[in-house]
Amino acid sequence: MQALLSFENAPPFAAPLRFFLTAPLFAVLAGLLLAWSGPQLMASRWMPGALAATHLVTVGFMLQVMLGALIQILPVVAGANLRRPLLVARIVHVGLSVGTLMLAAGFLAGTPWLLSTAALLLGSTLLYFLAVCAQALLGVPSTSPTIRGLKLALVGLAAVVGLGIVMALALAYGWPVPLSALADLHAGWGLGGWAGVLLVAMAYVVVPMFQLTPGYPARPSWWFPVAMLTLLLLWSAAVLANLAWLIRVSQALAAIAGIAFCVLTLRLQAKRRRARADATYRYWQLGLSASVLALLMLLVSSAWPAASEQNGWTIGFGILIVAGGFLPFITGMLYKISAFLSWLHLQNFGQAKIPAPAMNKILSDNDTHRQMLAYVAALALLLGAVILPDWLARPAGLAFAAANGWLFWNLANAVRRYRLAQADMAEKLAAL
Amino acid sequence: MTHPKTPHVVDARYMEPPGPFVATMEMLDTLKEGEKMLLLLFREPHPLYKVLRQNGHDYETELMPDGTFEILISR
Repeated sequence: MQALLSFENAPPFAAPLRFFLTAPLFAVLAGLLLAWSGPQLMASRWMPGALAATHLVTVGFMLQVMLGALIQILPVVAGANLRRPLLVARIVHVGLSVGTLMLAAGFLAGTPWLLSTAALLLGSTLLYFLAVCAQALLGVPSTSPTIRGLKLALVGLAAVVGLGIVMALALAYGWPVPLSALADLHAGWGLGGWAGVLLVAMAYVVVPMFQLTPGYPARPSWWFPVAMLTLLLLWSAAVLANLAWLIRVSQALAAIAGIAFCVLTLRLQAKRRRARADATYRYWQLGLSASVLALLMLLVSSAWPAASEQNGWTIGFGILIVAGGFLPFITGMLYKISAFLSWLHLQNFGQAKIPAPAMNKILSDNDTHRQMLAYVAALALLLGAVILPDWLARPAGLAFAAANGWLFWNLANAVRRYRLAQADMAEKLAAL
Repeated sequence: MTHPKTPHVVDARYMEPPGPFVATMEMLDTLKEGEKMLLLLFREPHPLYKVLRQNGHDYETELMPDGTFEILISR
């Protein structure tokens, strides 16, 4: 009976679920775009197809899952209650999904009105989301490194969105801005200030909780989000002042901070008390290893800028950090959170009279493990395509689309089993 | 397990949810008036805090250097 009380804070399952089910479809689109465009998409990060595919993955997949998860977990990890979470979820989900499609279409077609409308739609949707979160977090003291990290990650989100709007409008109307330096900074705020700090803040909670590892030591946990934001502010000031050396120093220090977090997490995982390695654990191992390699590349290019002029360096870095690092982290958590939420909602539905089915009955280890192998193959092909684009770009696109289609299939199947279990429990409850 | 703060300790650091919540509620039921219990976790349990407040319990939380949150709960 008492255990049910903790459920009061949980938003309806439909609130995060719409984000979780839509996200893989955007990654499928990105894969199909690569398969359709072929090697020319990988020629430069400024190719229209590369810009479209990048944003289908970072906004369509990453941001989609992150916002859905935040709506779900703000009450749990910060004690911050969003008002009317289902309404917030509906508004943000529609704005984000339509905005992402328009942005990708705008990049591909080079149509100014599409780009500017997409920027304004995404900007206003995210401004609304930030306002809702700020309202919920107002008055919530930063009593843990996670809460501090969450608040600072939202500052990072505001920065990456602001820069994104400026760049989309600059591209649409040919404004004279230093596009290359701003694109690096936009990516830095997006991957470091928003996604990176949010991931770290969540890792403090979910790695010990789901993988049964020791906790993250308190002192570095408090300082990591602050250090990352400070370095990004330094980087931004260096871009404004046109100080190339300071840009490189802040990039190198941010890379070192990221590597330190990854190595620490790998060490904690080595001490885990859960004997069985599930898909979440393996996805995290992949993400941590790929992130260390990507951040070493960033460290090399900040010490030796000529490295980034090597053929395929920037595209290779992007694939390694996004498809090798962030996507595995997010997919690993997506599996765990979806299964856990299904179980939690069913447990509550059973009113302590009918037990909920075990989590692996909703989402089996076999299904998630096989999908992960498909994803690893797709990642290997993507990295291979950096070296042999003529041979591997199209197969890599198809493999990436297939692996993410499989992710969608697994999640949709979990929802189907959840509904079947709920119907079965309703019958049993009625018979009591 | 005992602790300098109280002999009534739930070490939930390596428990999966909802184990910590259930174990805490069970121990609270066994405490006498004026006694305190300590919950050890690697995270802050906000849903539990809400239930504690609703049921009239006081609690104090301290984050230790190793990342353990020590939550001292009054009956």
